[in-house]
Amino acid sequence: MKEEIKKIKENSIKEMEKCKDLKTLNDVRVKYLGKKGELTLVLRGMGKLSPEERPIIGSLVNEVRDELNSLLEKKEKELEHEELERKLATENIDVTEPSKKIVLGSKHPITQVIEEVEEIFLGMGYEIADGPEVEKSIYNFDKLNTPPDHPARDIQDTFYITDDILLRSQTSPVQARVMEEKKPPIKIICPGAVYRSDSVDATHSPVFHQIEGLVVDKNVSMTDLKGTLEMFAKKCLGENTKIRFRPHHFPFTEPSAEADVSCFVCGGKGCKVCKGEGWIELLGCGMVHPNVFKNCGIDPEIYSGFAFGFGVERIAMAKFGIEDMRLLFENDVRFLKQF
Amino acid sequence: MKASIEWLKEYSDIDVDCEKLGDILTMTGSKVEEIIEKGKDIKNVVVGKILKIEKHPDADKLVVTKVDVGTEKIQIVTGAKNIKENDVIPVAKDGAELPGGKKIVRSPLRGVDSCGMMCSVGELGLDIKDYKDQIEDGIMILPSSYEKYLGKDIVDVLNLREDIIDFEITPNRPDCLSIEGLGREVAASLNKKFKDPRKNLNEEKVENKKELEGLKVDITAPDLCYRYVARIVKDVKIGPSPEWLVRRLKACGVRSINNIVDITNYVMLELGQPMHAFDINSIEGKHITVRRAKNGEKITTLDGIERELDEENLVISDQKKPVAIAGVMGGENSEIEDNTTTVVFESAVFYGGNVRKTAKKVGLRTESSSRYEKGLSAENAERAANRAVELVEMLGVGKAVEGKIDVYPTKQKINKIKFDVDRINSLVGINLSKKEMVDILEKLDIKVEEDYVIAPYFRMDLEFVADIAEEIARFYGYDKLDTTLIKAEATLGIRNKEQKIEKKIENLLVDNGLSEIYTYGFVGEKDLEKSKIREELIKNAIEISNPLSDEYKLMRPTTVPSMMQILALNNNRKNTNVKLFDISRSYRNIDSEVEKGEIPLQENILTIGMYGEDSDFYTLKGLIENVLEASNVNRYDIVKESKNSSYHPGRCANIKVGIDIIATIGEVHPEVLINYDINKRCYLAEVNISKIVKYSKANKKYEEVAKFPAVERDIAIVVDEDIQVGDIEKVIMKKAKRLLKGKKELEEIKLFDIYRDKKLGEGKKSIAYSLIFRDKQKSLSDDEVNPVMEEIIKELEEKFEAILRK
Repeated sequence: MKEEIKKIKENSIKEMEKCKDLKTLNDVRVKYLGKKGELTLVLRGMGKLSPEERPIIGSLVNEVRDELNSLLEKKEKELEHEELERKLATENIDVTEPSKKIVLGSKHPITQVIEEVEEIFLGMGYEIADGPEVEKSIYNFDKLNTPPDHPARDIQDTFYITDDILLRSQTSPVQARVMEEKKPPIKIICPGAVYRSDSVDATHSPVFHQIEGLVVDKNVSMTDLKGTLEMFAKKCLGENTKIRFRPHHFPFTEPSAEADVSCFVCGGKGCKVCKGEGWIELLGCGMVHPNVFKNCGIDPEIYSGFAFGFGVERIAMAKFGIEDMRLLFENDVRFLKQF
Repeated sequence: MKASIEWLKEYSDIDVDCEKLGDILTMTGSKVEEIIEKGKDIKNVVVGKILKIEKHPDADKLVVTKVDVGTEKIQIVTGAKNIKENDVIPVAKDGAELPGGKKIVRSPLRGVDSCGMMCSVGELGLDIKDYKDQIEDGIMILPSSYEKYLGKDIVDVLNLREDIIDFEITPNRPDCLSIEGLGREVAASLNKKFKDPRKNLNEEKVENKKELEGLKVDITAPDLCYRYVARIVKDVKIGPSPEWLVRRLKACGVRSINNIVDITNYVMLELGQPMHAFDINSIEGKHITVRRAKNGEKITTLDGIERELDEENLVISDQKKPVAIAGVMGGENSEIEDNTTTVVFESAVFYGGNVRKTAKKVGLRTESSSRYEKGLSAENAERAANRAVELVEMLGVGKAVEGKIDVYPTKQKINKIKFDVDRINSLVGINLSKKEMVDILEKLDIKVEEDYVIAPYFRMDLEFVADIAEEIARFYGYDKLDTTLIKAEATLGIRNKEQKIEKKIENLLVDNGLSEIYTYGFVGEKDLEKSKIREELIKNAIEISNPLSDEYKLMRPTTVPSMMQILALNNNRKNTNVKLFDISRSYRNIDSEVEKGEIPLQENILTIGMYGEDSDFYTLKGLIENVLEASNVNRYDIVKESKNSSYHPGRCANIKVGIDIIATIGEVHPEVLINYDINKRCYLAEVNISKIVKYSKANKKYEEVAKFPAVERDIAIVVDEDIQVGDIEKVIMKKAKRLLKGKKELEEIKLFDIYRDKKLGEGKKSIAYSLIFRDKQKSLSDDEVNPVMEEIIKELEEKFEAILRK
């Protein structure tokens, strides 16, 4: 009987090995381990055995059955895997075929620059402030220490609605409004559209965008202004950017400065963008003029502050290599999609 | 302001070159606009003498000359007609350079070697008007006495070398519109002693008289004329000015006219005080009055143009007529003539704002008016008058009349500023001692008396500690300032609610394939017509009083025309599938706020415009629904709108919260499309961002995810075409809500089919819905749902004459 069992085992293993698919493997299982399978029949025939032999043969059969079962299981996994492999082989696709997607739109270059600047200043604890574009002339001029006979109020520069209402020629009136409404510490930037009576050409537009910054607190100094702008320039234009202050004059700041940055196109070597100078005039800035503080209800004896302002278009143009400002307002979708 | 280095050297030693000086002054606040180095572009041009002239063997129009250029004798071929043997001429030798970058090289002319070129006045970059005895299209013939300079550089011989710097002077520093003022800045910037060559003018005491040579002066407008100083010279011989004076004027860009006029210009350039000179005989009644002009009063100015004035303008007048527009220009009637013998020098100071206004009105901006408008020192006026007289005597062209007339009704205020060293240090962010600050101020002629800084008369811009701080900072060096960061209370840098919503909307739209545009806030009347903007909105448009053009005349009351223009441009350029958005403002003058001096309504509007394959009403509607969802506006109605004239009357809707319209969406009216020459359907949406912000409610709460199964029932009904599905859904919802109690609800109505067919009947449509019912506490049974369904169907039959399809 032992011989018989041994043979069954050998045969079944041989057949199992020959199996090429799950169906024939199952046939092998039925043939040997099924209800009428050869090994099952051996078990059934155990009645004929002596009581001494029975447990020996019984355990032998069980042993063989367990072994076969585990071999079958193993084989089954192998075959399953092979089968999946064959199926996958038929499912090849060309990954370079076009995708299905919603083609993304784009934010305008002006928005992209404004957003970048906003992120930098938000990170430094500034809020974003906003104000009217059709503005009172007292906010655009008088409160900013630009009295009625000041040359900056020339009609050729500013669009007027009435004598008292105009299109803001700068974002600075927002400063005045914020100072009137809030108590220091004030840290704001105000991006927005401004209007000047310039005809449209490659470098001029009657509407353009400015970003204004204002800080008011105790003991704010000009070196803080320089440090802040240097930090901004490095984050916005590259870590190697250098900043240079030159004395200048604005009615609403004293001392005033113009700030140049090392050319972010050529790195200061001299190129077309910086006209060979290595420096680009970036912005005007200074310490808030005591008259502005007084006009806006802040005591210049207690507080000091700085303000700065620059044009967005110029930066966007330099950054993206746009040579004609008109492209920014023409809005040809083939232009817009490039950003 | 142009200044020659030669003139500046009278005020300060200058031991750096032009470029370096420019850099240094730029960093102390006098920004260099241009450096002009005259004579630098002429190289290797020398004085030569023509020894011999012979015919050219092969050319009738050319001659072959032998020229002595000092070191050698060279052969030059030329076509010039005005030369003869023994003429002394400028010669550009082989390798020479001329203005404009022209290079001279030895080369044969018609087979004969030519080793250089004889030069004309123009070829040397000189102005023929300055060399009146020369001819324009011939060689420059030098005086024969110049033979002694044979072989010498022409630049030195003709004294052509001149270094000039053109400075951009900021409006707060009219004192720097003078060589004296700039000289002071140069000395301070280079750390040299300010030589103060005109110091005598401060010390000179000229007796004040009521009358001078019979002349009297009155000021009837002391608010506009602060001071009027007159001095007189007689026995004047009008003639040309000496070369040095002409040269200095020219370096500053002023042309020489005659000695007296040149002196007035010279004094203006030197001291910054505009001057005027009259012939005393042209002053009728010998009585000058500085008064407001009469309305309609006329004067012909020196440039020969008649100008009309009004009572806002100030004139210098005699007993009968105005003789000058104050601070702007003199009149032809009092001009200095060749036979003038007695000259009145006027040195007056006017209110800058008024001079500016007048100059603008008469359309004349002169060297004089541009100085006055910045506000000049009245103290300087007397110095200038004295200087003019001094120059007349120095040139020996006239005799001074003793004394002066000085009417000085509005005394210049001298500012005293508290000298707060700590404040200056903290404002600038430096740490200088009082002594160090005083040293800087003294360099600038600014005196400190104990605890006060005394602003000198020529520095009217110094009023506050901040002004003193700027002076300190300028000469401490802006480039030496540290970079520090604010040491202050921490502040929060976050976007506010509106800004967050805007960013979210921008991002959502870009993710959905829309590109952002930027448009101008102004439009023309035509644009409003083309877009068929409603009359009530047009009435709200704000008009610009000085627009660039008719197209830019109005502040737009709606953003629609701006978007239509851009859609039209893209369509015109054959761009397909265009989807655009813009967040910008509309401007409405609703209750004549503008006329009342108030700010008009300015709302932030999201405008969407699209056309092309994947654009239709429902795509747009979906986009807007997503915008609203992203902005947390959860309750709104979409209501059909047929009266908005810019839109297709059958394809337009308002989105409302209660009665408040927060958005309008729809297809563009076909007539509008024709007006913009667009041949395809376009879709527009206007969304009021401020209202979105108002209705945005972000109080989300977790609701248990349903555990029990839903019961789904499908129904199809046939109704009239003009019944809106939105109305049907509202009725179903309302009914279900009334019928279902406890935790039972109609969870969702899904419209899954709209079907039209003749079999349904003319003007009918079939609408199929899936209704999903659920009980949150247990499984729903058919017995609970069936009666509800029956009631709903009954309601639909009653309300809409709906027929249930079986």
